[in-house]
Amino acid sequence: MREKTDVRQGTLALMVLKTLEVLGPLHGYGIARRIEQISGDLLTLNQGTLYPVLLKLEQEGAIASEWGASENNRKARFYRLTRTGHRQLQAETQDWAQTAAIIDRFFAVKAGDLK
Amino acid sequence: MRAVRRFFGRLAAWAGTESNEERLRAEIEGHIALQTADNVRAGLSPAEAKRQAVLKFGPVEATKEDCRDARGIAFIDNLSRDVRYALRRLRSAPAFTLTTVLTLALGIGATTAIFTLVHAVILKSLPVAKPGDLYRLGRESRCCIYGGYDQDKEFSIVSDDLYEYLRDNTKGFAELAAFQAGSGFGLGVQRAGVVEPLQLCLGKFVSGNYFAMFGIGAFAGRTLSPNDDRPGATPVAMMSYRLWHEKYGAAPSVIGGVFNLKGSPFTVIGITPPGFFGDTLAASPPDFYLPLSTEPLLQGESSLLRAPDGAFLDLIGRIRPGAQVESIQAQMRLELKQWLLAHWGEMEAGARADLPRQTLFLSHGGAGITSMREQYERWLQILMAASGFVLLIVCANVANLMLVRGVERRQQTSLSIALGARASRMVRQALTESVLLSLAGGVTGVAVAFAGTRLILHYTFSTMPGFGDVPISASPSMPVLLFALAVSLLAGLAFGIAPAWMAVKADPIEALRGVNRSTNRSGTGSRRALVIFQAALSLALLSVSGLLTLALRHLENQNFGFEQNGRTIVNIGPKLAGYQTEKLDLLYTGVHDALSAIPGVSSVALCFYSPLSGLNWAHHVFVAGRPAPAPGQSTSSGFDRVTGGYFETIGNPIVEGRSISERDTANSPHVAVVNQAFVRKFFPHEDPIGKYFGHSDIGASHLYEIVGVAKDAIYVMGDPGQPPGSFFFVPEAQYDMFPKADDTQEDLRTHFLSDIVIAMKSGARLSLSEVRRALASVDPNLPVMAMGSLHEQVEGQFSQQQLIARLTSFFGILSLVLASIGLYGVTAFNAGRRINEIGVRMALGADRPHLIALILRGAFGLIAVGLLIGLPLSLAFGRLLGHQLYGMNPYNPVLLLTAIAALGLSALIAALIPAFRASAISPLQALRTE
Repeated sequence: MREKTDVRQGTLALMVLKTLEVLGPLHGYGIARRIEQISGDLLTLNQGTLYPVLLKLEQEGAIASEWGASENNRKARFYRLTRTGHRQLQAETQDWAQTAAIIDRFFAVKAGDLK
Repeated sequence: MRAVRRFFGRLAAWAGTESNEERLRAEIEGHIALQTADNVRAGLSPAEAKRQAVLKFGPVEATKEDCRDARGIAFIDNLSRDVRYALRRLRSAPAFTLTTVLTLALGIGATTAIFTLVHAVILKSLPVAKPGDLYRLGRESRCCIYGGYDQDKEFSIVSDDLYEYLRDNTKGFAELAAFQAGSGFGLGVQRAGVVEPLQLCLGKFVSGNYFAMFGIGAFAGRTLSPNDDRPGATPVAMMSYRLWHEKYGAAPSVIGGVFNLKGSPFTVIGITPPGFFGDTLAASPPDFYLPLSTEPLLQGESSLLRAPDGAFLDLIGRIRPGAQVESIQAQMRLELKQWLLAHWGEMEAGARADLPRQTLFLSHGGAGITSMREQYERWLQILMAASGFVLLIVCANVANLMLVRGVERRQQTSLSIALGARASRMVRQALTESVLLSLAGGVTGVAVAFAGTRLILHYTFSTMPGFGDVPISASPSMPVLLFALAVSLLAGLAFGIAPAWMAVKADPIEALRGVNRSTNRSGTGSRRALVIFQAALSLALLSVSGLLTLALRHLENQNFGFEQNGRTIVNIGPKLAGYQTEKLDLLYTGVHDALSAIPGVSSVALCFYSPLSGLNWAHHVFVAGRPAPAPGQSTSSGFDRVTGGYFETIGNPIVEGRSISERDTANSPHVAVVNQAFVRKFFPHEDPIGKYFGHSDIGASHLYEIVGVAKDAIYVMGDPGQPPGSFFFVPEAQYDMFPKADDTQEDLRTHFLSDIVIAMKSGARLSLSEVRRALASVDPNLPVMAMGSLHEQVEGQFSQQQLIARLTSFFGILSLVLASIGLYGVTAFNAGRRINEIGVRMALGADRPHLIALILRGAFGLIAVGLLIGLPLSLAFGRLLGHQLYGMNPYNPVLLLTAIAALGLSALIAALIPAFRASAISPLQALRTE
């Protein structure tokens, strides 16, 4: 059995931004589904925790929202990436890549290499 | 940047809270519906699909709460919610709310009232421009006249000559102003050209730059200027706003109008601003500000202005921007030395020897001359501490009530937590409730404080009719309001923490189990601790108030050396009426004869000042035939001038020789009567009768022959237990010449007797209107300033101590009552909870006294622990009181036992009521109670 991982707040925000960039405007449920699919059920996600993150991003101006109709004609709130959001995503992707690279290098170093 | 954007986003969101709430609800609903639809498509039954969807979503309410936190300015949002909730809850328990608010109002009100005084007397600056730039001469205030070229410890009071020298040579001051030390002098005032009775006012001599130095403008007209302060300038004066307003109806004609002050015409050139009370916070602020140059005109023979060694001025200066106070001080010390050396020729040997030691200090002058602070600081600290302890006891009491409420509320709290409320939110709710209560208490407390302060001011500073009131306002100022707010918030937190803590510990499972079955006793421990704490503090307060009351009794019951009963003191002002010395004898004889004619009067005499009237006059004594005293040797002695028959009238026994009588006239040999302390000090191994002495100058050591010795009497309050100081009395009718004209001048002042002593036959009563009529028959213009019994005058010396003793007693009793209520609450609560146990015990045959003892034992256990803590606390406080007990031993076992007994008795009453009630229940009923 694989262990499931908790999601950190900042990471979740990044996932939301990336999802919206790839898929375009989407409602909360859609975003939640997408994150689960991509992570391959490696993440446990109380779907509810998504909403405070969405609100925060919207206040920061990274995303905007409006009411629309879902695929089966239900009223749902659709989120889309704003220009600020695009910029933020780019910056954070870079940051992430950099951090990941550094951490990778640390793990790659074997004890013998230091001598 | 992002944070800023987010903040504005939040602000906008907060403005639309309701629609946001709706949006969130709809969004979550939609989310769950979509998930449910997907689940149905995957083949689940509709019910199971919905359940899975909700599970997947997680706790809905917690999510909403997180969203609210993220969205709104969560603090304000939640606050308004919590406040509304708390208000609803408080409304549903009016008895609890009312009790709590009133208790708090007492505690906060007492603290705030004392703080109002602390603020006005200790913390506040003068209402002048930039008080921070003001510096005054001297560290301690010295009043009011000081003769000679040497001053003890520091030069803090100066003559006009020295003032001008310092003013003209010290460049660090932008302005250096001088003004008469003390609270001013009495002035008989009449408006020129108007027939009106002489009005008694307080006047004060100030230098021409006084108002410029303070940066104070005139309310109307103009302020005094250095031009008005030149010799030969037209006499002008500034009038206080109070007098202008109250006496003259703020008439514009007053400005530029001529007023006769002590019979000399003065033009009023301006009115001081309303809040201005001069340089000193005093019982009565001056009503006339007069240029120093008019001092000789008004004081006549006793003028000090031209005497270089007649120090009667305080100095305050405004330093130049950027000037260093230390360097100004150093420069002024140098100037002082130079000035003293310039007057070497006029100095006594003692002063010459002391010259190297003469120095001066500058201190902050923003608060003016702080004689009142020096007088009251220690008392105010004691009162502040006492009221603070009362507030602590109040908080403990309210915390106790809150804990009971918390217990009752446990089920509700548990339920809320089971439904997903977060603990932090529950704590916030509990704290909101307590802070709301304390704020309500604070608002009521401010009203209590207002009334309390007025009462205290009234008792402390009784002013003479016609004089201004002490410039301390009872109505709360901004700092006082802020203080009350801060105290309320702190109190709210202090008594709210325990119930809040209980909210955190609430277990959701209790909601399901039914909290009433729970055996959990949480909260009892802290309630007991609170009662112990209250008992300890209460004991300490009781013993402190007891000590202060005993000290007061001690003061009042000491042997004063004169008779207090049946003696009336009438305070007159011959100087105010403009009397010249040659007419004084006639006036005194007239007064004596007119008053003696009143039926019931047994004898009448006049004196320069009567015992404990607040006045004090002393001279350096020189005994004939002895060499000049060594520097540092104390030669000073109290002095009074009296008419014939004075000792018999005041009831001061003569122990040797004779007293002063009518036969001591201007032409008979000059004599003096001395007290026993005088004999001990100057003639320790000799018979004093027939010896000669004099004062002020070694060349005047043959002035008086000692003809009698009077028993020691207390004229000036010192430490009780210490013998009164040396004193000598000389006859009014005899005028003396001194080698120096200044000394002769000064001696003339003492011929203006200000007190009449009237002794009554036993059983006779003196009517004051008769006294007034008799005095008016001698001279209708003679101002009568005050009239009262000698006993009142003595009591008046202790009014401050009386007030302190009364206030601390009030605080002590209040704390006792509060502690008893606290104990009652805890005992009743515990008895209620043990009702089952009591039933069992009864069924098994326990009798009623046994049961009562059982409950009392619990209550007294708490009190005993409280006493154990309170005893050392009381002893420590007693030690801290120290000097305020006037040498009384602070370790008074009788007093401590009394305090313990008082606490024990009220505890007994507080515990007996619930004990009786619990033991009166029938066993069957007790067992049935759930």
